[in-house]
Amino acid sequence: MKTVRVFFEKTGRAVYISHLDLTRAMARALARSEIPVWYTEGFHPHLYLTFALPLSLGTVGLRETMDYRLLDDGYPLEEATRRLDAALPEGLHAVKTVDPVMQPKQIMWADYALALRCDFAQAKAAFDALAALPALPMEKRGKKGVRTVDIRPLFSVLSVEKSPKGALVRLRCRAGVETNLNPSLVLDAARERAGFEALAVLMTRVAVLDANCCDFL
Amino acid sequence: MTPEQLDLLLSQVQKPARYTAGEMGAVQKEKKPGMLRYAFCFPDVYEVGMSHLGMKILYAHANRRDDVWCERVFAPEDDMQTAMREMGVSLYALESLDPVRDFDLIGFTLQYEMCYTEVLNLLDLAELPVRSADRKELFPIVVCGGPCASNPEPLAPFADLFSLGEGEEVSDELFDLCLAAKRGGWEKSRFLRAAAQIPGIYVPALYDISYNADGTIAAVSPREGAPAVVTKRVVADLDKVFYPQSFVVPFIDIIHDRAAVELFRGCNRGCRFCQAGFLYRPIREKSAETVAEDAKNAIRSTGYEELGLTSLSTSDYTHLEELLDRLLDWCGERHVNLSLPSLRIDNFSPSLLEKVSRVRKSGLTFAPEAGTQRLRDVINKNITEADVLTTCRTAFTGGYTAVKLYFMMGLPTETPDDIKGIAELAQKVVDLYYSLPEKPKGKGVQVNISVACFVPKPFTPFEFEPQDTIGALREKQQYLLSCVRSKKISVSYHDAAVSMLEAVLARGDRRLADVIERAWRLGTRLDGWEEHLRVDAWRQAFADCGVDPLFYSSRRRGFDEVLPWDHLDYGVTKRFFIRENERATRGETTPGCFVRCAGCGADRLTKGACRCK
Repeated sequence: MKTVRVFFEKTGRAVYISHLDLTRAMARALARSEIPVWYTEGFHPHLYLTFALPLSLGTVGLRETMDYRLLDDGYPLEEATRRLDAALPEGLHAVKTVDPVMQPKQIMWADYALALRCDFAQAKAAFDALAALPALPMEKRGKKGVRTVDIRPLFSVLSVEKSPKGALVRLRCRAGVETNLNPSLVLDAARERAGFEALAVLMTRVAVLDANCCDFL
Repeated sequence: MTPEQLDLLLSQVQKPARYTAGEMGAVQKEKKPGMLRYAFCFPDVYEVGMSHLGMKILYAHANRRDDVWCERVFAPEDDMQTAMREMGVSLYALESLDPVRDFDLIGFTLQYEMCYTEVLNLLDLAELPVRSADRKELFPIVVCGGPCASNPEPLAPFADLFSLGEGEEVSDELFDLCLAAKRGGWEKSRFLRAAAQIPGIYVPALYDISYNADGTIAAVSPREGAPAVVTKRVVADLDKVFYPQSFVVPFIDIIHDRAAVELFRGCNRGCRFCQAGFLYRPIREKSAETVAEDAKNAIRSTGYEELGLTSLSTSDYTHLEELLDRLLDWCGERHVNLSLPSLRIDNFSPSLLEKVSRVRKSGLTFAPEAGTQRLRDVINKNITEADVLTTCRTAFTGGYTAVKLYFMMGLPTETPDDIKGIAELAQKVVDLYYSLPEKPKGKGVQVNISVACFVPKPFTPFEFEPQDTIGALREKQQYLLSCVRSKKISVSYHDAAVSMLEAVLARGDRRLADVIERAWRLGTRLDGWEEHLRVDAWRQAFADCGVDPLFYSSRRRGFDEVLPWDHLDYGVTKRFFIRENERATRGETTPGCFVRCAGCGADRLTKGACRCK
């Protein structure tokens, strides 16, 4: 038995699958794929699935990972990718399966691309203004209720580019088990502090990174 | 609708995965000219509709044809409906996201009366007139099916067609007719006349109803060649009938989230209050081999971790042991749980009990339906107090500590003693538990009794019976509470006002259509949900239309009265229902069909083929 890590994409209609529903959808896809997967023992056997970094509802994910356990250590990983991909619904796509290199707790950062329908100059001004602030206290909703957090150290604006619909904003946000910043909170800050409002937002998580800003492998 | 519009819409609502499709097994097709576009609507929310096996069967059945694309439509919750109206988005079908108003055929399945206002609401969200007469174009044609089509009259002015009975064969005939009409550019009136010639299709616009001075129906007169009696469709051989090879697997958690196979149609029991028990006759079974194949296909194609064996009375399935032999190990190897709903307690053989015990245990549930043996004889529910107590004894010694008991109140001939009997039976279960030396150590027992209000339904022996008034039902509920003395017994009961509305709609006639439309215009929808139902709006709708609901719910019908559904033939004869009603009044039981054929008449539909023979 060994643990493997599958990289997958979550796009199109699949972005509306919540994290809990994704777990169920993946378990059923693995059952359909007939890959020899390890189930827990006991009264209620179930699959052992780990998602390194859950994705918010509505966000596209291009570097998502899921760990599961193969019964057979020698099972070809290309075959596992192919079979799982064939069993996945529209919008979920298995890219490759690997032997895990890092632990999920090593994740420190995630890169997001925010496609905004807006006026480009306003977006540029707003994000430049946010980046120039020394501190940015925001109300953050968590399991412990609402609390105020200085989110300024938790993100950087990588770039603000012009796009046909307005602007493409690239953000690097803190991610991981301990501290996690949802990029929508940065958008909230842009509205509250700089009066910037986008007419439509499409968020994509393009990379998941460790403390050295290397890809999570 | 553009993808960006959809994103904007979905960013505003709860559980957006209900409104996107894209599930595994959802059917996508290339749009071709001449193709029949069919929107299959379930007039309730996604979680309910996607739990319904019949819709899954008919969806896959329609989509096996190249010239038909069947898509799903469910009722949006309030937040989605509001967002759609604000953004000017018309009701769309899940697979293509195309507006429903542009479809050729719109189907509604009517599973319960309380969905009627939602049928109107969905038509309106699709920007279509709710009344058939106001939809002048040939398409879309609106067809309604399902158990409530057995009394279609309250919805008659809204639907173009009703499909009576089982849908597999008739839907192909209907698709062919729609395609011919589409190619030929027919007028709607020509289409309706032709549709009336398909057996099992009822075209309400071709029937005139006249009334007596006392408000009862005088006559139902067919026009333009429509048949005087429309007979429901049944599939003769269930081993040959289409069964899906794959199913849509929802992302979100729905009510019955599992693969399902069908064991048999019909029921041999003859409980006199139960509409399903008569509506689906004659009894036809699938072979264990067919069911096992269906089951394996369903699990392989869905990856579900649970398989439900469905029927009206699972332990009455003749080949249950053989089926379990075929499935228990296969499912075990794949970590698939078997679920056996609708088990009866009175016909378990020891070897069946042993096999069933390998299946993961759910709760222990009985439906004695009435509190005394006298009343159980009246309703022909052949469960005795000894049956309940014997099974409880086995269960308690096996470690169970909770029992659920289902009852009804307001049954014909009911007296206060029968209500008291409910509490007494529950008390006996409690006493039994504490009398057992081998009861689970250190644990108390919990007996939950759930009491529904009896609703007389068409095509049952009680179709002539008055329903208790709301006041009488509430008094009985209070009396029951006063009879319960143990803290180990908890009582829950249905809202009598809802049951009364259900009774009115179930046995209503065409004059109720105005009330339904009025209630919907006053804002009612999804009436089956407590958080949506607005009894005050319904009350106002009856008053505004000058219709007395008690005429429908609480009036005794004479055996010679023309009932609104008398021109429809569901197999079982009215003569049989009258005979059964008279036996009920005398407290006489009728043995189940497997013991002795009671001559209900349903075997006429299959030229004598019925499992009772």
